[in-house]
Amino acid sequence: MTDRRRINGPPGGTRPAVYASLLQSATGAADRAQRQRQPTDLRKIFLKTGLIPSASGSSYLEFEPSASLAAARANPKSLIPPSSALKLACTVHGPKPLPRSATFSPNLVLTTHVKYAPFAARRRKGHIRDASERDLGVHLETALRGAIIAERWPKSGLDITLTIIEAEDDRWWGDAPDSHDASWGMMNVLAGCITAASAALADAHIDCLDLVSGGVAALVSEDMTGSSGPPRLVLDTDPAEHRSIVSACVVAYMPARDEITELWLKGDSSKAALEDDDKRPGHEALIDGAVDAARGAHTVLGQAVRESIARTVGSA
Amino acid sequence: MVGPTASISNLNRADGSASFKCPTTGYDVLGAVNAPIELPTRRDALKPEEATVEVFVKPGTTTAGVGERYIEGILRSVLGKVVLGREKGFPRRGVVITLAIVGGGNVERGDSYLTILPALLHTSLLALLSASVPLSMTFAATTLGVTISNEIIRDVSPRGAKAAASLHALAFSSKGHLLLNESQGRFDFEIWEAVREQALFICQGAAVPSADGDVAMDEEADRTHLDGFIRETVEDQIHSEYNWKVDSV
Amino acid sequence: MASATANAPPSLSLPPSQFARLQPHAYLLAHLSPPPASNQPSIRANGRAPSQFRVTSANAGSLTHTNGSAVVRIGDTAAVCGVRAEILHTDDIASWSVSESSTAASTAKHQHLADLSDHPTKENKDVDQDSDAADDEDRAHVQGLNLLVPNLSLSTGCAPGFTPGAPPSALAQSLSHQILSLLHSTRLVRADDLRIWYQPPNLGPEDIEPHNEDEQMDVDADQSGSAENRQPREIKAFWVLYIDVMIISLAGNPFDAAWASVLAALRDTKLPKAWWDVDNEMVLCSDDLTQAYGLSLRGLPVASSFCVFEADAAAGWRAVVIPDAGEQKKGSQSRWILADPDGYEEGLGQERACVVVDKDNDGKGKTVIVKMEKHGGWTVDSADLRQLVDISAKRWDDMKRILDQC
Repeated sequence: MTDRRRINGPPGGTRPAVYASLLQSATGAADRAQRQRQPTDLRKIFLKTGLIPSASGSSYLEFEPSASLAAARANPKSLIPPSSALKLACTVHGPKPLPRSATFSPNLVLTTHVKYAPFAARRRKGHIRDASERDLGVHLETALRGAIIAERWPKSGLDITLTIIEAEDDRWWGDAPDSHDASWGMMNVLAGCITAASAALADAHIDCLDLVSGGVAALVSEDMTGSSGPPRLVLDTDPAEHRSIVSACVVAYMPARDEITELWLKGDSSKAALEDDDKRPGHEALIDGAVDAARGAHTVLGQAVRESIARTVGSA
Repeated sequence: MVGPTASISNLNRADGSASFKCPTTGYDVLGAVNAPIELPTRRDALKPEEATVEVFVKPGTTTAGVGERYIEGILRSVLGKVVLGREKGFPRRGVVITLAIVGGGNVERGDSYLTILPALLHTSLLALLSASVPLSMTFAATTLGVTISNEIIRDVSPRGAKAAASLHALAFSSKGHLLLNESQGRFDFEIWEAVREQALFICQGAAVPSADGDVAMDEEADRTHLDGFIRETVEDQIHSEYNWKVDSV
Repeated sequence: MASATANAPPSLSLPPSQFARLQPHAYLLAHLSPPPASNQPSIRANGRAPSQFRVTSANAGSLTHTNGSAVVRIGDTAAVCGVRAEILHTDDIASWSVSESSTAASTAKHQHLADLSDHPTKENKDVDQDSDAADDEDRAHVQGLNLLVPNLSLSTGCAPGFTPGAPPSALAQSLSHQILSLLHSTRLVRADDLRIWYQPPNLGPEDIEPHNEDEQMDVDADQSGSAENRQPREIKAFWVLYIDVMIISLAGNPFDAAWASVLAALRDTKLPKAWWDVDNEMVLCSDDLTQAYGLSLRGLPVASSFCVFEADAAAGWRAVVIPDAGEQKKGSQSRWILADPDGYEEGLGQERACVVVDKDNDGKGKTVIVKMEKHGGWTVDSADLRQLVDISAKRWDDMKRILDQC
C-alpha cells in the first residue's frame, strides 16, 4: 500500500537488521542491563518548559539514562543499545475558538494526541497512529481532564500534542516475549506524558486544580519461572532492567487534593513480596508505590513550573 | 526545430482553458481556470483583501503525490504574484487553476520537475488569459540543461535531464523581470549567468522593451521567441472569435 | 501610510509587541528604514542585520534507537532527524535480475569503490574521481530502488496552524520532496555504502576449510590480494535509509533546519557490517561497533534561505501597469533581502530565495552552487543572486564548523 502524501520506501518492503550475535545466543548471554538503583529510588527527570515559542505552552521531558545505557554511551562497543531513556516534547495550543462545524460545548474541549516518532522505538513505527498510540491519547485525556477547570472556557478547544522522540523498551532486547509480556514500556511513556503535559498546561496558564504528575510502580520477578518467590515491588521501573514484570501500575496523581485522576493497572498483582507487617493486598501496595513515584515526579514538576512563571514575570 | 503548439478555450464548462504541447520534451498539458469563484470549504484560509490562488496538478497516469504538492507550491507563488487579486470582484474569492499532464513521460519519485515546469506555466498563463483574469504581466518560461562540457541545451527532455550536469528552469515577465529561477545540479555563478542570458533570449528574443513600455515587434522574430508565441496564440484566438465582426465590416 | 507610521513610534501608546501584531508590515518597515535624523542603523525587528542568520546549534547521536541522529536548532526552529537503516533483499525487488547484480564487467570498478569506502577518512579527496558509469549506476540503485526515504512531519504541534494527526500538509509534503530531490541531485549518499555483497566461495584448494563467522565477515578485507581467480561477487541486499525529520518547533525557515538535521544525521550514521549468510539464507549483521562503518558522503551541501521584504508590496506591479509609477520615491531603499527569515518575516513577503552551496576540497576549493531557486516575485535578479551566493558561501563556513563540532 502506498501513501501518496508521503515518500514511500521500496515497494517490496524492507526488513530490520538481524544481528548475528542475537541469533547465536538467544538466551541472552551478553551483559544484561541491571538495575543499579534501590527499589524505591527514582530516576532523575529533566523537565523544561517554554522551548517552543509558537505554542501557548510547551515542555520537554527526558528521563535519566539507566546505568547500563550511560556506560554503553561512555564506552561504546556494541551497536545494540542496552536500554533506552524516554524523551518527549509536549505542546499546548489554545484555548482557541472551536471550529465552525463543532457543536456547542459549555466546557473546554480537550484533545490529546500522542505520536511516536518513526525512530522512537526498537521497531520502526508507522506514520499513521496505531492502536497503542490512540490508547495512550485516551489515557492521557482522562488524566488531564480531572485536573483542568474546564468550565472557565466555554466554546473553546485545547490541543495537547505529545511527540515521543525516544520511547522505553518493553523488555530487555535479548529476551523473547514471555507469558507475562505486555507493552510495559507504554506505561512509563504514559507517566512521562502526564508529567510533561501538566508542565505545558501550567506554561500555557490553563487553570488547573493542581499539578498532576505521573508515576509508575511494578511487581518484578528476577526469574522467568517465578520460582524464586513472590515478585518484589519496585518504583519507576525500566522494563529493560528486569527479567520479568508480573504487574505494573501507572497513576496520575494530584498531591494537594490526594486524588488520583487516572489509574491503569495491568497484570497479576495477587502475589507480592511485602514486608511481614504489611497486610495490604498486592494491588494496593502497587498503587501506593505508583503514587509515591508520582510524588517524586511532582517535585520536579513544581520546580519546572516555578521556572516557567519566573520567565513570564521577567519578560512582562 | 519544432516549436510548441497551443490552443485556447478548448473546454466549454470552465471559465478559461488552454492546452500546450511541446514536441521536444513530449509534454502535453491541459489546463482549466475558474475565477473568480467562491471557495466555501476554505473560508478560514481566504484573505480579506486579495484573491486566493489555488493550483492543482494532476499527473497523467497516476494520482498526485508529494512532488506535485511541491510543484503546485511553486506555481502558486509565481502566479499569485502575477494575478491582480485586488481587482474588483476578486477579494475573498478563489482563482482555481487545474493542470492535467495529458502527454509526456511521468516524473518519477524524487525526480526533477524542472523539465515540465515551463509547459505548466505556459498552460496556466494561457488559461488565465482565456478566463480574462486580470494579470499584471505575461511571462514566458524555459528549461535549459548544461552538459558536463558546459554546453547549454534547450528544451531538455526528461532523459536529457538525467545526463545533464545542471538543470535550470527560468521564467521572465514580458518586461524582462526574472520571475522564477529553479536550478539544480552542480554549477557556478558564471554558468548560471550564461544560462540566464540564453533563457532571456529564448523567452523574449532580441526585442528590448522601449521606454514607453511597448515592445518593438518584429514579425520575423515573432516565431522564434516564446513571448511572441504566447502573443500570437492569443491574437489568433481573438481573431477567430471576432471573425463575425471582421466579416461584417 | 508607511512614512507616517515610521514617525509614529515615539507617540505610540501601544506597547511595541501589540503594534507588531496590529501593523506587522509598518512595524518591520520602521525598523528597516529608520528616519535619517535618528542615526539608527537599519535593523530587523528581531535585532538581526539583514544578512545575519540566527544562532545555530547542532547535536548528533543522542537518540538510542537510530543508526544516526541529530538535533538542529536555528533560532527557535528545531528539527530532530533520525536515520534508520533496514535491509532490502534483492529477492524482494520485482525488477531485479541477476545480470544487474553487476558481475563480470563491472566487478573491477566495484572493487575499486569498495576499497575506497573502506577508508572513509581518505575518501573526501576522491570525490570527483568516480567515473560517469559509476554515477549512472549510483543513480540507478539509489534512486531507482528507493533506497533513500526521507519524510518530514509538521504535525507535532510545532505551530498552531497544523492539526496533529492530520495527514501531512502541503508544506510538509513539499519539504519532504525538496529533501529527497536534493539528496538525489547532490548524490550525497553513495550507492556503494548501501550495497551488501556476497562472495561465493571459490571452492579452490585453499578455501575448502569450513568458514567460521569471522572469516565470512572479513570477506571484503582479504579479497584484494587474489581478486583475479575468484568467483564474481554479487549484490544480495541493500541498506534502505529511512530518514525521518520531526520539526519540533517551527518559527520560520523549516527547510534550512530540516536539511541541516538530515546532513548532520547522515554524517552521524553508522551501518553495521552485514553479510549474506548462506545457511540461514538471510543477511546477518555484526553488532560490533569497530566493524561498523560510517557513510562517506559526497560533499557537504549547506542550504540558506532568504525572504524579500518590500516597502510597498504593490509597488512592483504598479510600476509595470502604470509606466510612470516607478519614478516616484527614488533614493529610499524599497526592499530588503532578509537571510534566514523567522515566522513573522515569512508572513510579510512572498518572494523567496534558497541557495544551496558546497565547497570543493573540504572548504578550500571554489564554491559550487548545488541548488538555487527563487520565486514569488520579481525584485531579485542576477546581481542580488550573486550576493546571496556569497552570503551562502560564508554561511557554509559557519555551518561546517557547527557540524564538525557536533
